[in-house]
Amino acid sequence: MMLKELFDAGKLVITSEIGPPKGTDVSEIMAGVEPIRGRVDAINVTDLQSSVMRLGSLAVCHLLKEKGFEPVFQITCRDRNRLALQSDLLSASVLGIENVLCLTGDHTTLGDHPEAQPVYDLDSVSLIHTVKKLTSGVDMEGHELEGAPKFSVGAVVNPGAEPIELQILKMEKKVDAGAEFFQTQGIFEADKFEKFIKATEHLKVPIIAGIILLKSAGMARFMNSNIAGVFVPDAIIREMAKAKSKTKVSVAIAGRIIKEVRDMCSGIHLMPLGWDARVPEVLDVAGL
Amino acid sequence: MHATIQKSLEEILGYLAEGEKVFIVGCGNCATKCKSGGEEQSEEMKLRLENNGVAVTGWAVPPNGGSTCKLSAVRELLTIAHKEEVEEADSFLVLACGQGVHTVLDVVGDKLVHPGCDTIFGGETVTDDFITEYCSLCGECVIEYTGGLCPLTLCTKGLLNGPCGGAQNGKCEVDKERDCGWQLIYERLKTIGRLESLREYHEPKDYSKWSKPRSLSLKNAKPEFKSLAGIVSP
Repeated sequence: MMLKELFDAGKLVITSEIGPPKGTDVSEIMAGVEPIRGRVDAINVTDLQSSVMRLGSLAVCHLLKEKGFEPVFQITCRDRNRLALQSDLLSASVLGIENVLCLTGDHTTLGDHPEAQPVYDLDSVSLIHTVKKLTSGVDMEGHELEGAPKFSVGAVVNPGAEPIELQILKMEKKVDAGAEFFQTQGIFEADKFEKFIKATEHLKVPIIAGIILLKSAGMARFMNSNIAGVFVPDAIIREMAKAKSKTKVSVAIAGRIIKEVRDMCSGIHLMPLGWDARVPEVLDVAGL
Repeated sequence: MHATIQKSLEEILGYLAEGEKVFIVGCGNCATKCKSGGEEQSEEMKLRLENNGVAVTGWAVPPNGGSTCKLSAVRELLTIAHKEEVEEADSFLVLACGQGVHTVLDVVGDKLVHPGCDTIFGGETVTDDFITEYCSLCGECVIEYTGGLCPLTLCTKGLLNGPCGGAQNGKCEVDKERDCGWQLIYERLKTIGRLESLREYHEPKDYSKWSKPRSLSLKNAKPEFKSLAGIVSP
């Protein structure tokens, strides 16, 4: 099922996210998604997140599909040239995957193979153009395909990035390229998010608010200084710092932020970072 | 400017066989400016090799700021000015860029040629003691639309359509000291009143123009740039 159909139907789309393991043992992540069965519309699978070599997104998307989940195939420009990107998109389609999320990808030097050649043959904008071309029945050079894939194509945006004007300019380019929905970086401040939503209203494109489950006050501080565009306000850091049960408070914070932003946007994307089992509680708190 | 940096002595010594007699070739231009292969470094390399038991027959640098990447200059230097020391040598250690290594190879034929430097980038000499990279020599210049600043070079990911989401406080995700190339482009375009050009979509690059090896011929009336993309003549 394509996410576009849910947006078109006016549904608040709920997605969550898993990261494939470094190795071939998928038992943990496959068990980890069971608690969210029926609670989310789709599950994103990250593509070598943080530039760490691991099991591929495509394979895990396929496993999810087999188990009756709706996967969102995250695909970055870091590791594949235009031939491999297009080929993997065709492969995804053959495996029944109908949603892709196009990203630039973290730089190779940030991961566990810092000596690797970063590719970036395409960028996120040209990748979206490419997905749309494939769905129209031709490759990016215009050669006809024997059977065209069908995809709902998503993109990402970082509402906290500075200057925001530059982020929005790029977002506009992604919309022009054919992006059908946007997923944001983690949101912690509803008022700032609202400003971003207003600034992008003219694009008339569904936006899914990213919600990160905090693990600790230390993690929040780390993100503030190291993750671009993520800002956890002091009040939330204090809440986490004095929490007796980190998970309970984390769930409460995430649920509260969802309640604050859900009416501003078209969906919620949870980034549990391994705390998949907590996702149903977050959705309970948020009333979803 | 082809920026170069000398390889470690340990690596260079590893190239040389027992009893191998070496002649050192520096460069009067870029490698002199980079302090990797000027007269001073060539003479110093001779002493360092000799201190490690290597027989050095001599050294030479093209005079008057001459470039070692110019074949005719190297031919004159090695076959006329330093004929005897060159004939005595079993091999050549080139303290210049990779193009310089090749001119020496062209001149000395079957003898061994060792690189003494790593060629690190083509750069702008900002000051006599600072050289930095503004161009990646890609064969398809896009900088009219980016205020003269190359996104392929200044953005660590070489993105053509704007920044990724990884920059923080104007700095790149790979290094908090490194400016985000797109932030620089944005500021430049704002200053010159050309922010609108950021809206333009740029197709992926034609990497066949960046295919190697490429050549430029000036033999005919018009210059001819040859790559796997074909011949381009203005």
